[in-house]
Amino acid sequence: MSMQLSYDWLLVLLSYAVSVLGSFTALQLAVAIPLVTNHHQKTAAVAMAGGAMGLGAIWAMHFIAMLACDTGMQVTYDPSLTALSALVAFAACSAGLMIVGSGRFSGLKLLAAGTCMGLGVGSMHYLGMRAMMMSAILSYDTGLVMLSLVIAIVASMVALWLAFNLRGPWQMSASALVMGAAVCGMHYTGMKAASFYDNDGQLPDGYADGLRGGDLGLTIFAIATTLLVLMLVLYYWRQRYRSSLSI
Amino acid sequence: MVELEIQVLSDRREGLLTELGCVVVANSFSLIRQRLTQDNRGAWLAMIVRGPPEQRLALEEMLGTHSRVLSFEAALSGETTAIAASPAKTVSPIAFAPSPEPAPVSEPPVVPSTAVMPDVARVEHILPKLAQDYPQIYPWLVALENSVDDAVREASLMLAGRRTGAWVYKRDYALGAKLSLADAIKRIGVPALRLLADIEQHGVHVHILNSPLCAPGVRSGCRFYGGYVEGLLSGSVAPKKVFVRHLSCRSTGAAHCSLEISH
Repeated sequence: MSMQLSYDWLLVLLSYAVSVLGSFTALQLAVAIPLVTNHHQKTAAVAMAGGAMGLGAIWAMHFIAMLACDTGMQVTYDPSLTALSALVAFAACSAGLMIVGSGRFSGLKLLAAGTCMGLGVGSMHYLGMRAMMMSAILSYDTGLVMLSLVIAIVASMVALWLAFNLRGPWQMSASALVMGAAVCGMHYTGMKAASFYDNDGQLPDGYADGLRGGDLGLTIFAIATTLLVLMLVLYYWRQRYRSSLSI
Repeated sequence: MVELEIQVLSDRREGLLTELGCVVVANSFSLIRQRLTQDNRGAWLAMIVRGPPEQRLALEEMLGTHSRVLSFEAALSGETTAIAASPAKTVSPIAFAPSPEPAPVSEPPVVPSTAVMPDVARVEHILPKLAQDYPQIYPWLVALENSVDDAVREASLMLAGRRTGAWVYKRDYALGAKLSLADAIKRIGVPALRLLADIEQHGVHVHILNSPLCAPGVRSGCRFYGGYVEGLLSGSVAPKKVFVRHLSCRSTGAAHCSLEISH
């Protein structure tokens, strides 16, 4: 029999807030990619933007949302798969932002970058789910899984379009809010697609060595703090750059 | 192969060699030597370039119409040609005269007429104040208008506008992708102009409703807005150039000042 999931709504809201914070930082770094003048600057900008998006907006959001989810049983996470999910998110977001930030912006690039990032969000989520170790079997509704991927791709495209084509406050805020919605929309649709079936208390191998909520909480705290610091540094640096521009 | 000696005057030196070097290379010429100097009229770039003779006219045309070039001289061995690129490109975008055939006798370089050139020194003097007080800049613009000769007033206002627009673009609007002209007008031009004046925008037409620089019965200050829009949008729609045509002005009895933007 399928088990019922319940959520801590405060943590759900926090997951969206962290996702928006990560998206904001990442997109603010990403919109500067077209202006970089050499390969090193470009690599640094793409890596930082990919890191903020992949690790902050997606990975940290996912695990805050998992902490918000009460399955009614003890859960630990496979360290290798958890690390792999972070790596996939980072790589996919870096690739997507590199595509959309290089050369002239076009619909084709937007499609490629949105697909890359949307699939990155989805891959991270389903790898993260695969990392769960508990006394339950997991199965998915294929239709909802597909829907979750479509949400991630379409909303990623909208967010990237907003970030690269608007100017001013809308460019900064709307793109981050939409990207946060992309990540959370994908995640919670993916959770809706998942069904947990009790397997009579059989725990998988390595359960005891898995990552627990406390471990994840510390990692998430470190990532969120890094995002905040990065955002503040970025703000400070941009202010200095603006005031240093000669007319 | 032909070897050309080119001398360019620009309002500022930053990035001049890079931008004009790209034009040289794009026309299959190679840069042999260059020298960049500054005086009270602006930045002078002297270049010796070598390339195919059939590309010479194309190179000269691109330099003559380049947004950074106020004037330039191009000379082949045994020939000297002077071409003044008018700063009032918004009225006459093609400010280029084709070079004559090589003359058998060398002539001294013709110094571009100062009648169509801005007073770079006075504009340079006022620019830091524009940056400091932006967007409350009208007192400084009026001071600039009053401090230059009538003959160079419009060109000076236009230069001040172009430099201010380019600065505002780099400061506030450079992040993101390049935009189409229509999008650049809507998302960059309109909000930036609204900081300076009440405006209405209809496609590529912008109406400035109460320009303090163009009160009825006094001299027109529309050139400032034209230069401002060109400087503001050129960075976003590059590599295309932006031109502004002045359709009407409040100073000549029109209801409002009208600009038409194109590229």
